[in-house]
Amino acid sequence: MTDRVVTFHSVRKLYGSFQALSGLSFSINKGELYGLIGPNGAGKTTAIRVLTGLNRHSSGDVTVLGHQPQDPKLRPLLGYMPQETALYQDLSVEENLRFFGKLYDIPAVELNRRVNDLLAFVDLEKWRSHVITELSGGMRHRASLAAALIPKPRLLVLDEPTVGVDPELRANFWQRFSEMQRDGTTILITTHYMDEAMRCDRVGLINHGQLVIEGAPAQLIHDANVSNLEEVFLKLAKREAPQ
Amino acid sequence: MKLPRILAISKKQFQTLRHDKRTLALMLIAPILAMVVFGYAFGTGNKHAKVMVINQDCGATAQKIIDHFDTDTLSITYNNDTAAAKQSVRNGNAVAAIIFPPSFTADSHPVGPRPPQGAHLELYLDSTEAQQAPLVSSQIATALQDYAKDQEAVSAFAVDTGYAFPAAKNATFIDSFLPGIMAFAVTLFTILLTLLAFVGERTSGTMDRLRITPVTETEIVLGYELAFGIIAAIQASLMLLVATLAYHVLVVGSIWLAALIVILVAVDAQSLGILLSAAAQREGQAVQFLPIIIFPVFLLSGIFVPLQSLPDWLRPLAYILPPTWGIQGLRDVMLRGWEISQIWPILLVLLSFAIVFSYLSIVGLKRARN
Ligand SMILES: Nc1ncnc2c1ncn2[C@@H]1O[C@H](COP(=O)(O)OP(=O)(O)OP(=O)(O)O)[C@@H](O)[C@H]1O
Ligand SMILES: [Mg+2]
Repeated sequence: MTDRVVTFHSVRKLYGSFQALSGLSFSINKGELYGLIGPNGAGKTTAIRVLTGLNRHSSGDVTVLGHQPQDPKLRPLLGYMPQETALYQDLSVEENLRFFGKLYDIPAVELNRRVNDLLAFVDLEKWRSHVITELSGGMRHRASLAAALIPKPRLLVLDEPTVGVDPELRANFWQRFSEMQRDGTTILITTHYMDEAMRCDRVGLINHGQLVIEGAPAQLIHDANVSNLEEVFLKLAKREAPQ
Repeated sequence: MKLPRILAISKKQFQTLRHDKRTLALMLIAPILAMVVFGYAFGTGNKHAKVMVINQDCGATAQKIIDHFDTDTLSITYNNDTAAAKQSVRNGNAVAAIIFPPSFTADSHPVGPRPPQGAHLELYLDSTEAQQAPLVSSQIATALQDYAKDQEAVSAFAVDTGYAFPAAKNATFIDSFLPGIMAFAVTLFTILLTLLAFVGERTSGTMDRLRITPVTETEIVLGYELAFGIIAAIQASLMLLVATLAYHVLVVGSIWLAALIVILVAVDAQSLGILLSAAAQREGQAVQFLPIIIFPVFLLSGIFVPLQSLPDWLRPLAYILPPTWGIQGLRDVMLRGWEISQIWPILLVLLSFAIVFSYLSIVGLKRARN
């Protein structure tokens, strides 16, 4: 039980009368890189918003690092990169990073170090004093990832972090994720790229707010008797509503 | 609650302004522009100036003159105690006290030789009520003339004018208007910027990002209030500077006390803005709220129309608008030179508004986490 970082048990989330999550259950182990995949509107972002405490679930149980999602004690332990850029458009890249860093009570010297390190990592050193509106779409995504990494979180939640990022940087990102994983960080990532899903320890495929199948990518391919993960996806995640 | 986080939120606001020069310019220039434009455009047409009449006249002349007063323009209260009447002028309960001495009839209808100075009446005036004070003087002059027309043998009348606030004896419209426009401009721009900032936080997703960090709703609200309080103080100083240099506007009382009132007005507007922002999905919708705020404040808070001139049923509405108190407080300080010992009730009201609205906006932000 102690090595479970995230547990979802029969979680429902209603938006009005619409069920975005309809009894979702899954769990993530400590130090795992867990990929959440599924069609548009499957409920990936909704699951993440429930996990991070941004939205309250309607029923079921959610535990994150031993806390309820809305527990303030969870906040310093969590890093989150939303699906949209979610940075202050009129602040520079560096100002954004420093601002969020200060909210985590990071001491000035340490914050300097982290800001410089992260700017180098996302390759935005030259753009550090440009405001977000002056960046390209992919650059904004990189800045947003840097902001999520500022707190050095125990659990890192990334909602489609590599959308619009060029192949070279995408490879860098994944290398960084692996490094962080080695340092003990648990990572939850959503993606529509199957090659990225292949790099996860385990993958959960969700559709219509429910878990369809879960397991190591190779295992899923083997069990479905197909040749790659994309086929698993296409075979199991049908668009029409389940009966 | 941690101070560094509150300061981080405030600092972010100023950094935003540094990059957003247009908003910065709007904030600094627009209040001055508003002051200049409105300063010339308004200033007449008031009614119901409250006056105390002390009629000690042994004859009937004084009453006949009083009967010539237009009761639409002056709302008259009779009193027997001169000192008490003057006190209520100084307290702001009446614009003027008009005192007819016992010998008024005798002096105006002399049996023997005329007294050299004619018949005197005393006018004790609050000239800081720059819209209403002139009404009183002109009403007295008109009534005296009208009476004189009806009568034959009348001696000259003389009005001895005394001032409740000698330092502000030459107060003009712009003097009493400046405090109004200061409170109004600060309210308008603070609400506008707060609405835009908070709706922007929500639509851009940064509010979600804030909520994931350890920062609390209280820290967010206090951080914003600190920033907007400082901005309001800067706006007010600029307006004061321009007003004193260009219009030679009168500032009798403490600038610091005036600044404190402006800051409180800003904090009130700010927390009201946060509350309102919850009801708007997009920036465009937020802007639609502005008229709902602006028109009542404009018309009811005493900038142009004195509170006494408002219909009875509207007056309670004026008193639930924070700027009404802010404007009164600023006039008391800047024109009458009142000190903290005299205006503390106004500070208390403004502070209460700030506490209640801030509390509600913190609760509102917390509830949005659902
Ligand atoms: N605030 C909301 N109000 C109402 N319905 C919502 C809201 N947010 C999401 N939904 C609905 O919930 C369902 C799940 O949405 P969600 O954003 O979780 O999908 P997703 O799996 O992240 O999709 P994508 O791959 O496109 O990001 C969708 O049908 C969506 O329309
Ligand atoms: Mg999504």
